[in-house]
Amino acid sequence: MKLAADRILSLLLLGLAAFVAVQAWQLEVPFSYDPVGPKAFPLILAGLLAVLAVVLFVRPGAGGEWPTGALLLRLLFTMAVLGLYAALFINLGFLVTTALVSIVIAWLFGAGPLKAVVGGLLLAVGSYLLFTYGLGISLPTGSWIEPLLGSN
Amino acid sequence: MFDFLIQGFGVALTPLNLGLAFLGALLGTLFGALPGIGPINGIAILMPLAYTLGLPAESALILLAGIYTGSEYGGRMSSILLNVPGDAGAVMTTLDGHPLAKKGLAGPALGLSAVSSFIGATVAIIGLTLFAPLLAIVAVKFGPAEFFALMIFAFASMSAMMGKDPLKTLIGAVLGVLISTVGVDSGTGVLRFTFDMPELYDGIDFVVMIIGLFAVSEILLMLEHAFRHDQDGEMAPIGRVMVKMSEVLYCKWAILRSSVIGFVIGVLPGTGASVASAVAYTTEKRISDHDNSFGTGNMRGLAAPEAANNASAAGSFVPMLTLGIPGSGTTAILLGALMLYNINPGPMMFREQPVVVGGLIASLYIGNVMLLLLNLPLAGVFARVLQVPRWLLVPSVAILAFVGVYQLHSDLMAIYLMLVIGVFGYLLRKFGFSLAPVVLGFVLGGLMEENLRRALSISGGDAGILFQSSLSIGLWIAAALVVLVPMFAGKLKAKFLPAAKAS
Repeated sequence: MKLAADRILSLLLLGLAAFVAVQAWQLEVPFSYDPVGPKAFPLILAGLLAVLAVVLFVRPGAGGEWPTGALLLRLLFTMAVLGLYAALFINLGFLVTTALVSIVIAWLFGAGPLKAVVGGLLLAVGSYLLFTYGLGISLPTGSWIEPLLGSN
Repeated sequence: MFDFLIQGFGVALTPLNLGLAFLGALLGTLFGALPGIGPINGIAILMPLAYTLGLPAESALILLAGIYTGSEYGGRMSSILLNVPGDAGAVMTTLDGHPLAKKGLAGPALGLSAVSSFIGATVAIIGLTLFAPLLAIVAVKFGPAEFFALMIFAFASMSAMMGKDPLKTLIGAVLGVLISTVGVDSGTGVLRFTFDMPELYDGIDFVVMIIGLFAVSEILLMLEHAFRHDQDGEMAPIGRVMVKMSEVLYCKWAILRSSVIGFVIGVLPGTGASVASAVAYTTEKRISDHDNSFGTGNMRGLAAPEAANNASAAGSFVPMLTLGIPGSGTTAILLGALMLYNINPGPMMFREQPVVVGGLIASLYIGNVMLLLLNLPLAGVFARVLQVPRWLLVPSVAILAFVGVYQLHSDLMAIYLMLVIGVFGYLLRKFGFSLAPVVLGFVLGGLMEENLRRALSISGGDAGILFQSSLSIGLWIAAALVVLVPMFAGKLKAKFLPAAKAS
């Protein structure tokens, strides 16, 4: 198992090198005075990467500790939360999404429910004030809030 | 010859730029001190701020450079007080710094490291002032072929000297260069690796790349850290805050020697603080550790890596400002930031942008004094930052990352791309890669290809041009030497000094 991580990495890199090479090879190049063109450099890189990957396969280092089980779930969950944050960022607005995400992350990092809620709300409001009034950044207010404010 | 410096002080002493230097120093110290953040992450997270404020190029660079040097100051806090190095460059600081703190000398240790950092940085900034114009004269002779050879040299010296795993350093650099090829090919207008996504036509945005790679992956790593219940050590009480003059004098030669070592290593393209502090520490141990007290809380063992650390930070500006080749991962980020202002790094930068270069160097002098004044009396206050709980810190990092990317692009795709790159960065770090070579490759990749192609179009496709001038031949030989010498030196050492390790 210890050696496996770098071997898997090496195979992934070989795959990547092959993919890059094929993609680069298929580029259609219009006539130009440039003797090298856009293909050569990626091809050289793909070749270099392939060589390095082979060396890595032959001489793998010690693999690190990889997340499994509950930790892996938490990592995936965190990425899902961040993905949702991105997806809702504009429509729901900065304040609401940031508060929700901060509460969830705080809870993931072991804060109690009360701490998480208070901390998350404070972070959202505080950073909103800092960014909007301190730095003059316009953050999304959210499309749901506009009808409430009346049309203008 | 030093017109640029006079001009530079004119720029750096305007109220706006003075304020920014101070802000940078303060923010840098705070972020460098945050647990798990460290200098390079601090810069990555705070970088979008410089654009948000709508600053001109030289002011943005002054702010970022302040953050950079400030975070080197802040990074030592967790090393000394918690025995947790904020980045690779701070590892050596823990060796004697933390034992000192355990002896109840945390305050003097912090003070001593601030003074050593100040001296190291000052020596290096003076070196930068003297050497940069000289190098800039040589730099004018660089054509595309020489520039290409120089970049090869940068990657070679980085892989030879950085990190424990040269192979992964090289792979990381190649990956970085590959990522830089995404987008429209500037030579022919052909789209490369864009997969019909218009968002990728302009290539992967620098800010998106850096924030994803560092900030997002850091969130995941911190989660892992918290889950495994790796408790940070008990924080040592600070105690007496000021360092005594006698203690500084005890270390004076250690500090001066290490400053020079740090500067020289910082100047070498591709090698940064981690190498400098390690070399300085081992050198100092060899020279002045008579009673074998290094590692148990010897003041010299703390002063040496701290001086070298900061000297190399300033030294790494030399290749960046004169040749356009960053001396470290962090300066690679600074260089990328400059490129967003349409300032082309390269041998001509020193001539074409005297205001930016001079202003930056002058602000390093000013910022360094500010940092000493901030850090000596306020060490205890900054140390509080170490106790910021992660459940508040991590959402803050996420917010900064999202706002940073959003305010530049107002575009969901950019945020998704940032998250994807974040996962990529996390995987790289789990596989034992250091991110600095990836950044270096990403920043230099475009220039590398451009110069290679320009050289070959001058010669009509004949690769011989790459090895024609004595300058480029010298660079190729130097590149070969930095890779080969350590390999053979290691073998020779193992052959003749089998007992060296045991002692």
